Amino acid sequence: MSLLNISCKKATYLISKKEQGKISLFDRLTLWLHLGICSLCKRFEKQTGFIIKQAKHTHTEEKLSEEAKERISKVLDSSY
Amino acid sequence: MSPSVQATDWVNKYGDILYNYTLKRVSDKGLAEDLVQDTFLSAWKNRDTYKSEASEKTWLFAICKNKIIDHYRKKSTSNVQYAEVDTSSNFFDETEHWKREDQPNEWGINYHQPVETKEFYGILDFCKKKLQEMQQSVFVMKYMDDLSAEEICKVLNISSSNYWVLIHRAKLQLRKCLELNWINS
Repeated sequence: MSLLNISCKKATYLISKKEQGKISLFDRLTLWLHLGICSLCKRFEKQTGFIIKQAKHTHTEEKLSEEAKERISKVLDSSY
Repeated sequence: MSPSVQATDWVNKYGDILYNYTLKRVSDKGLAEDLVQDTFLSAWKNRDTYKSEASEKTWLFAICKNKIIDHYRKKSTSNVQYAEVDTSSNFFDETEHWKREDQPNEWGINYHQPVETKEFYGILDFCKKKLQEMQQSVFVMKYMDDLSAEEICKVLNISSSNYWVLIHRAKLQLRKCLELNWINS
């Protein structure tokens, strides 16, 4: 059975492979078994899944400073 | 692009959105400004060849994306040996189980419900910028720009196993950083 036992380090690594559809059948099985008994890794999976879903939203609006705008305009004009 | 267009109008119209986009993908403001400037400069020099099939905005964004990817590529060639190091051992003990201080704690939120507060995005941005450069590049390309693992390996010139280690490490770091700054604050 020890072949099917994986560590938390390995499990958290495999979670990304699973999420990106790049996990072997064997690894999928060992991960599934691990997540069945390890609440910490299960939590890691939920939380990182949440983070990557959030990563695409971009809510903060940053503005280019007036100085930078002026500088860039000058660069463009002088390259004409 | 009509040659009569004024550089200033252009920069005023698209400067902010390009900068905002770029700043989310690189680590500092000065660098983001440089990349935006490069974008405008390339576009400006080629404005006679621009055909109005795509909108001006789409065209500028395409150039901007390439500038950012070029930047990641350049950075990766100077950083390869650094990225090879698997430092995720920090989070786990010698038996590869979670160290007590690095264990994921319960966040008490609904993970299926998007969070849209300004505070959250501020912290997420902060945490992303705290990542080591290669981790940040991989994270942004994968989770913000939807590139495939193969494309990312090619751009950064890294092996597939290196890619997975970087993804793993980036997630461990981000999760911890969010927990510390967002949940526990």
